[in-house]
Amino acid sequence: MSHPDEQPYAVPVPAGYRLGPWAVGTPLGAGGFGSVYTARREDDGQPADAALKFLPTGTQTPRRLRHLRELAEREIDLLSRVRAPRLIRLHEVRTVDDPSRPELDGATVLVLDRAESSLQDLLNGSPRPGRGPELLVEICEGLHQLHRAGWLHGDLKPANVLLMDDGSARLADFNLAAELEGTHAYSPMFSTPDYTPPETIWGDVAERGQRIRPTTDIWAFGVLAHLVLTGTLPLPGATPAARRDATVRYARGTEPLRLSPELPPDWRQIITDCLAPTHQERAPHDAASLLPRVRAAAEGAAAPRAPRAARPLRRALIALACAGALAAAGLGLHAASSKHPATTGSSPRSAPVALVGYDRCLKGNVCFFTEPDGNGRMCSWEGDETDWLGGASRCSWADQQVPRSVFNNGIGPEAGEPRVSLVYYAGEKLQDRIDCLPRDTRQNIDLARSPRSHVWTEHC
Amino acid sequence: MHTIIVVPPGRPDSQEHLTLATGERLVFGRSPADAPGRHQRLTIEHDGVSRIAGEILAQGTFWTLSNLNRDRTYVVENPEGGGEHIKVAPGRLDAPVPFEFARIVLPAAGDLLSFDVWAPRHDYLGADPRIPEGATTAAAFALDRTKRYFAVLVALCEPRLRDAPAHAPLPTADELVERLRPGWPAASRSTVQWNINYLAVKLRLAPAWPCPEPGARRNGMKESLVSLALRFDVVREDDLALLGPAVGAAR
Repeated sequence: MSHPDEQPYAVPVPAGYRLGPWAVGTPLGAGGFGSVYTARREDDGQPADAALKFLPTGTQTPRRLRHLRELAEREIDLLSRVRAPRLIRLHEVRTVDDPSRPELDGATVLVLDRAESSLQDLLNGSPRPGRGPELLVEICEGLHQLHRAGWLHGDLKPANVLLMDDGSARLADFNLAAELEGTHAYSPMFSTPDYTPPETIWGDVAERGQRIRPTTDIWAFGVLAHLVLTGTLPLPGATPAARRDATVRYARGTEPLRLSPELPPDWRQIITDCLAPTHQERAPHDAASLLPRVRAAAEGAAAPRAPRAARPLRRALIALACAGALAAAGLGLHAASSKHPATTGSSPRSAPVALVGYDRCLKGNVCFFTEPDGNGRMCSWEGDETDWLGGASRCSWADQQVPRSVFNNGIGPEAGEPRVSLVYYAGEKLQDRIDCLPRDTRQNIDLARSPRSHVWTEHC
Repeated sequence: MHTIIVVPPGRPDSQEHLTLATGERLVFGRSPADAPGRHQRLTIEHDGVSRIAGEILAQGTFWTLSNLNRDRTYVVENPEGGGEHIKVAPGRLDAPVPFEFARIVLPAAGDLLSFDVWAPRHDYLGADPRIPEGATTAAAFALDRTKRYFAVLVALCEPRLRDAPAHAPLPTADELVERLRPGWPAASRSTVQWNINYLAVKLRLAPAWPCPEPGARRNGMKESLVSLALRFDVVREDDLALLGPAVGAAR
């Protein structure tokens, strides 16, 4: 039924084998599309120690492993173009030229930073490491550095987080990484089940593979954070298949997300946002916006609600709840992100029918609706947004529909927020002012076209 | 995210397939709307069928059948299984069905009525013989290499696997039948086409097959299948052994 190889990707390399200046040492691991060995440099160059990753791309490689060449190229492409403190560093790429060893000849060898161990090793020894929060900050930094460079990891999990000799974490194993083309990339159709977001489980496939987006990594970060902090995976089940089914049931709205009760509240909110069930609901929580929250949570300080003025314009969060469409699809009613569910005290997902009309607008947000009286589809923001169609927090319907009602449900000076009024504009970048809305105002509006930007201000 | 596909009787290649995700139910019978609760419905218009004859429940990648008739035994056949079947006794609830392809046969006043249920998301071991764990990176396609659809896919890919130029035309339906016949004597144009359609579902090229009409677009689907299968090494050179030696002047 299947190819009977024991270790299809293993490349046996004898100890002491010479590759340029490198003398191969002991095996660090096999699988994951290749074999990794320690190596020591026998000249005076730097670094003195490294990890050599052998990928079986040689001429003797059976054609059935042809896809490895592509996976190797992905990793080399990324590592040679993106250098960042939290990503494992590629020092050089070599090709084995050794006709006397046909099993090695032609293999691609990546000379990488030598790590002490992996996060997986650490978790095997102590399921809830004391340094967990600190490591999560470093992992989030790595994700941020990667995403900012325009790449996705595609396979974030504990085995792919390496721990250096100073204990710090770096992301590694970029075989499945993909460069973003606009908003998405194509994955090479491998994935790690427990870290796969619902939309790519049995999702449609194009000829070039499955489309993945940065939110794929964000989901994996949420799973990883839950595992590191509690010792358990967030979705329940004894087998990967059972956990996959639990993920599907959660995404379809038939089961709520039940995170471990041990999670501190600020971590709980971060993980809940990372594990939002759809790409759209996860999208506002990019690595850039998560990083300060993860840092604050790791420092143990309840993440302070900084006044709006203290944060940059793009702090905007949350959008895209389209109650009608989702309810029709059997998904219940998603009000919006539950980042600050102060209005009702309950998460919209656990109270699927409780919120209607203006009540869907969470405390702290301004909400625009496609129908009068707070009905229809809703877009909401906590912060400023200078481009509703192309900014950090988009409104999915604003290019086709015109809002018919609006609710300024912002917080005020008592919560440390001086900017309480909302000015909205017909043009992007705060051009062509339409109106200013005082705090706690809900009203129907009659506009010729949808606004394109808004900003919070102290007075109307 | 659905895992189970129900094909209404007499509509084998339409877009009227009913899809079920984990935990979803489908009630079938002469008047399935009478059943309480939320569920999908499949109406089988025959006086010999109970108003509420049975229920299918999607359970992850497999499904269970409840026989809601108190008198008659239902049979679930594996159409590719050489007579393999299970019986579901009257009143039996939630009997698990292990087949990737299944045909539910209902006795109805002297007639035998049937419809098909597919479970295209069955998991199979990949290249690594160990049972996959949740933290292992795994290929996203799980194919049963013993099934006919796999032989059809290999035959489709054969010219390009044998180093024919990438623009070489794909085998025609007749050529496929000819190539497959040694291992599958009953192969015909329509059974081969059925398998091609199923492969599109299996490889998730489409939620259900996109082209109800025969002709040009089907060629597009064959092209897409072959390029996806080769790009992601779903079919490899050593799989050609499955077809037996190449025949004729093909190569």
